[in-house]
Amino acid sequence: MKKRWNWDFLMSRYPAFFPLLLLAVVIVLNLVLQPNMFDLETLNGNMRVFLPLILVSVGQAVVLLGGGIDISVGGIVSIVNTILATRVGLEGSPELMWRYVIISIVVGLLAGAINGFFIAFLRLQPIITTYATSFLYFGLALFILPNPGGGIPADIASLYRTSAPLGIPLAFYVIALLLLIWIFVSSTRYGKYLFAVGGKPEAAYETAVPVTWMQFSTYVVAGFMSALAGIALTMLSGSGNAEIGESMTLNSITAAVIGGNAFSGGLGGVAGPIMGALTLSFIQNIISFADIDTWWETLVKASIIVAALAAPGTIDLFRRRRS
Amino acid sequence: MAESLSAVNIVKRYGGVVALSDGNLDVKTGEVVALIGANGSGKSTMSKVINGVVVLDGGQLLLDQSPVHLSSPLAAKKLGIATVFQELSLIPQMTVSENIWLTREPMTNWGTVSAKQVREKTKELLSLFEGTFKTALKPDDVVASLPPDEKQIIEILKAMSLDPWLMILDEATASLDSRQVQRLFELVQNWKDQGKAVIFVSHRMEEIFRIADRYSVLRNGKTVGEGKMSDVTEKKLVELMIEKESIFEYARMELTAADFVDKPVCLEVKNIQTSTLDDVSFKVHEGEIVGIGGLRGQGQRDLLLSIFGDSRYQGSVRLYGEETNFRHPRKAMKKGIALVPGDRAREGLLYIRSILENLQLPSWSRYGFPLKVGRAKRDAKTVGQSLNLVMAGLKEPVSSLSGGNAQKVVIGKWLMRKPTLFLLDDPTKGVDVGTKAEFYALLTQLCEEGRTILFYSSDEEELIGLSDRVLVMFDGQIRTELRGEALNKENLIAASLGATNGVAQ
Repeated sequence: MKKRWNWDFLMSRYPAFFPLLLLAVVIVLNLVLQPNMFDLETLNGNMRVFLPLILVSVGQAVVLLGGGIDISVGGIVSIVNTILATRVGLEGSPELMWRYVIISIVVGLLAGAINGFFIAFLRLQPIITTYATSFLYFGLALFILPNPGGGIPADIASLYRTSAPLGIPLAFYVIALLLLIWIFVSSTRYGKYLFAVGGKPEAAYETAVPVTWMQFSTYVVAGFMSALAGIALTMLSGSGNAEIGESMTLNSITAAVIGGNAFSGGLGGVAGPIMGALTLSFIQNIISFADIDTWWETLVKASIIVAALAAPGTIDLFRRRRS
Repeated sequence: MAESLSAVNIVKRYGGVVALSDGNLDVKTGEVVALIGANGSGKSTMSKVINGVVVLDGGQLLLDQSPVHLSSPLAAKKLGIATVFQELSLIPQMTVSENIWLTREPMTNWGTVSAKQVREKTKELLSLFEGTFKTALKPDDVVASLPPDEKQIIEILKAMSLDPWLMILDEATASLDSRQVQRLFELVQNWKDQGKAVIFVSHRMEEIFRIADRYSVLRNGKTVGEGKMSDVTEKKLVELMIEKESIFEYARMELTAADFVDKPVCLEVKNIQTSTLDDVSFKVHEGEIVGIGGLRGQGQRDLLLSIFGDSRYQGSVRLYGEETNFRHPRKAMKKGIALVPGDRAREGLLYIRSILENLQLPSWSRYGFPLKVGRAKRDAKTVGQSLNLVMAGLKEPVSSLSGGNAQKVVIGKWLMRKPTLFLLDDPTKGVDVGTKAEFYALLTQLCEEGRTILFYSSDEEELIGLSDRVLVMFDGQIRTELRGEALNKENLIAASLGATNGVAQ
């Protein structure tokens, strides 16, 4: 039994183990710099900013698990943001808002389905296809809202910003829901197929797993999650900007990889990427609190991310050397 | 459940290559049919046609005498046909039980997979091979962490869990030890008694005679013989597998082993051990052509890669008496070793780059900085001409060349470095007959110049015609060495199949 709890076992069987360590480190650092971070207001202020990236990262994680990658998630976030900001407006009624929330979700599903159709059915390269469609989606967002502006009613926005049922920020409920759904999904047949398709598609095909449909579905999930992120981001910012989603694409991929999802597919989960997204967001926080000169900000942030990405591989290398 | 399956006049082409031109097979419940054939005779294609992985181009599959169309593995599965794949159909990152029950997981009322049932049913299956595992195999072990024989058993159990009426065992015993084979055969006997059918694809004569009731022999994509095992001998089967008429003419001088004894030993391999090689030792003298025979995948590739420093090994490799210990192919290249790899497209060439670049790839360092491109071109041209390379120009991409000419580029790029030891991995695979003859002449000439050649070939004719002696590999070991009179097709094939009787040593 002892053998089962060694490093290799933990790393391979519990891919979220390393990101958990990493998250603990950044939380401690953050706590040092921001001693009041666990006060409800501060916590809520942080979490509502982190939530959109968490949502996108979960979608990205599912695509990576299925052996693909989605570069267009940021574009989908932007489309949703511009649709809401232009169609609902600052004076819009709640009914109008909810109607466009549903339309946004449909748009996200459609955008994901377009990606999935090209990649799963036409067998195009995921990275190239979604890179190309990301321009399509950003272009559409710019077409809808050429200059930053528009908005949603303030009372609806504050619903997102300040809701904290039972004294716990809204974001935690969302995260808990995501984890519950994932625990359920990963123990359904869909979950098993997902790992199989990402792990070794030829073997999955020979075992009669519907490989094409599985690949297609991962992009639809990513589109759906991006739409949710777009809605959350719009409620957070209260206004529209076609470029709002740009940084989310690479951040979501980084979060998923820090979270232990392999680029080659079939390894990882959703809990890891959620922690990865939290880690990335806390790093951003730490930097803004550490009084680092803005000139250095990007460099410092990038260095931390590179170190975090390289850590598991480095540990492995040392372990191999030793043996 | 069906009772019989017949494959009639099956044709299957991959691109321009005909894998099966007239494949026939009959199997009915309560019997084991052995599907036999030499390398590339179409055995695997035949089993892939029957289990729906590839769709046939011609001929018919008859299930209980009525035609069926198998468009996918799913279709075959629904008809109760299960396969143990040679290239295992397991997902390495998933656990044993997840793999076995993939697509057929027992479910709970909640729509989730019942972990408890899965574990229990897996344990039941694992108990069939109880006692033959080297490790304590558990349902929750990740497949990637298992040794090859246990992976193979999981693959067998996965097929069994389907409870099919027809089971195809494609080289299922290749990585099993004798106890595990014994257990498998007991199970096969049970299936037979329960009225199931088995197609047994194997290279091992001994096993075929132990388990099969009937046989079907494939040669070059054609079924050339069928019958009862009780009416046939090992010798007869080997004869069936061999092409009668030989088109091969070789120009190698008749040399006896004695001619090389006073030459220095070029390569000495001693007790090499890797995951696929098991204590391999041999010597090659300068100027000798030594062939490596045996069925594909018996460790030949690993042996060549180990010598070239591209694969870690335990043991010793000496080049002209000097311990090599190469950690990287670069070191081997510097010592004058060249490797012509088996997979031309993936390992031998940069297809979209020009012929010049490909020819000069290992040699650019000799052309200074900045590169003396003029001289490089002249040198490349000379090599191209000496090889009779048919090309539109050095600037053309390698992808514009035919298979034979592309292979000439692979050999040419090493010739430019004037190596002393050539390692070739199936150099004439997919090469036309004319070019083959040119290669033989070239290799013979290289040897006369004092270079040494060690090559693996899947073509028996070539091994016999070209080599001074042939080392036959089986299961990662050199089982037999054939030379002189004993180096003939019957002995070579018999030795490849692991048979020992009838082989004159």
